[in-house]
Amino acid sequence: MRKQLMFQIPKKGLTVWRLYGFLNTMIIGILAAVVCFVTYFFEWPSFIYLIGFALIVLVGLASIWWFPNIRWNHWRYEVREHEIEIQNGLFIIKRTLIPMVRVQHVDTSQGPILKKYDLANISISTAATTHVIPMLITEDADQLRGRISILARVAEDDV
Amino acid sequence: MSDQRYKLHPISAVINFVKGLKELILPFVVLFFANGFNLKENSGQNDFWLSLIPVGIFLLITIGLLISGIIKWWTYEYWFEEGELRVEYGLFVKKKRYIPFDRIQSFNYKEGIFHRVFGLVQVMVETASSTSGEAEVILTAISKEAANRIEIVTRKQKEEIRHADLQDSPLIVEEIAEPLSRVIHKMTTKELIILATTSSSMGVVIAGTAAVLSQFAEFIPFERIFEELSAFIKFGFVIVALSIMAGLFITWLAAVVVTFINYYDFTVWEENDRLIITRGLLEKKRVTIPLNRIQAVKIVENPLRQLFGFATVAVESASGGFGGDDKKITLFPLIRKKELLSPLEELFPRFNWEPSFTKPPKKAKPFFYRIDFIWLAPVILASSYWLFPYGLLSFLVIIPAVLIGLWQYKTTGFAINEQQLTIVYRVFSRVTFHVEKKRIQALESRQSYFQKRREIATVQVRVMSGMTGASAKAANLENENIEEIMKWFEKSNPTIE
Repeated sequence: MRKQLMFQIPKKGLTVWRLYGFLNTMIIGILAAVVCFVTYFFEWPSFIYLIGFALIVLVGLASIWWFPNIRWNHWRYEVREHEIEIQNGLFIIKRTLIPMVRVQHVDTSQGPILKKYDLANISISTAATTHVIPMLITEDADQLRGRISILARVAEDDV
Repeated sequence: MSDQRYKLHPISAVINFVKGLKELILPFVVLFFANGFNLKENSGQNDFWLSLIPVGIFLLITIGLLISGIIKWWTYEYWFEEGELRVEYGLFVKKKRYIPFDRIQSFNYKEGIFHRVFGLVQVMVETASSTSGEAEVILTAISKEAANRIEIVTRKQKEEIRHADLQDSPLIVEEIAEPLSRVIHKMTTKELIILATTSSSMGVVIAGTAAVLSQFAEFIPFERIFEELSAFIKFGFVIVALSIMAGLFITWLAAVVVTFINYYDFTVWEENDRLIITRGLLEKKRVTIPLNRIQAVKIVENPLRQLFGFATVAVESASGGFGGDDKKITLFPLIRKKELLSPLEELFPRFNWEPSFTKPPKKAKPFFYRIDFIWLAPVILASSYWLFPYGLLSFLVIIPAVLIGLWQYKTTGFAINEQQLTIVYRVFSRVTFHVEKKRIQALESRQSYFQKRREIATVQVRVMSGMTGASAKAANLENENIEEIMKWFEKSNPTIE
């Protein structure tokens, strides 16, 4: 079997994923609340309350606890001299190899939540694809971006 | 270098106008139908003038288009200066575009009906950056001599730049005589007809006819017809069957005609490491692809064609083809599989066209159809429940699903030959995807929990093609095979580090 990749997402990333999951659950919760209110108003059958409640619990469990855990466990990456290798996925584990020669540009991006946690996403673009390594410590992300761009410039085409 | 400025042919004003008009037709039809043709007959009524507003708007827009078409033609100028092709147009807002000659990848030509009448061509200038299918510069209508002049000037300039780079080589300017060109493939009329008969565009035509018929359905008094017909119900069957047959025949004929017009005189040339494809009866098109821009070669056999030993060959190219809608450039629309080898070998000598494939293992077999059950199960259960006795028939769907899965299993495979990876797979049509290592943008393996248990995985390659790129996937291969492909693709082996 292939060697396990070296780097993982920082533990803080897991926290942010949980936060995203919580926000998702909130949205579902609001929708469910609206449905419940309408049910009360029009006196629809009471099992709708049950469904709404179950939905919130399920979504909450999955998106706050279960999915972030799996995702965090699966996420690995490695930036080597000649290629970048990424492993990710929820139920299907994907491993992607991107040759340095093919890298066209590297960006880092940071939304308000990520900024609060001092994290940043790094996205690597080739002519055909874009790959994202999420939730890196800002400083690391900047360093990695610099490193990839240098490596990509140095890499020679093996025609 | 002469700095003479050239203009387009006046007919381009008309072409601009017609093109603008074409885009307007749809919104205008919608507007008219929404209005319901309720033009009042005399001006005595209050809302007579009101009902004229849409017509007025349409007239205004038409005049506007006509004027803008004329202005664009009037102000459009192109010339050669300082090793660049320069284009300028616009009255109030001047638009300028300068393209260095050595950036120009190719010229594509198109001749519509207007062009044919006056012996003109539309020239599309392709550069490396025009991957979105939009040409960098479009010269709407110029004479063929002018088009030739542009091409000759470009070639000369490129040559000069090359010589300037290699200064030690003696200047031999007159070397660039007539370029060597040879015909790689020419389609015969017979092939053209087979192409039309077995093409999937037939499906499109059938769908189109159905849509049109359903529109007319409202006007046909079906109920009365059926009442009368009920007496002749036995005849009715025959008539319905006959009319369906006739309908199918007509659609088939339409498909044949459409394909015939589009692919008439389909010829592939090779000239100075460039591929030139010409086709079309009414509207002649000519596309040039530099061979080094080709990313991958795809051989597609749909089931019907596979049965008769025919295949279609397409290339994935980094630069766009005839325009936005077909990024994939068809090299041979239809060719006998036996005759496929020699032209391909001539064009791409580095490729191995008949590699021996490694197949997925036996244990992978169920994986090809098991995934279908996930979406089939709810459909079958739902239809069995609601359409009770007959709904049970939906269980029969499982049989074709399994058969297709097995067929896909039988087709799937991969082969590595030095620098080349070949992947063969099937959705319905069998696709053989040949790509060189240096063209692969990213390689990905995927493995679900169940696949992991049986030690199999799926591999996918991505290449650049148009805006979105293209990909090929070989599903459910043995773990070691995936390993082998990944190793082959890696430059630095992680274990050596």
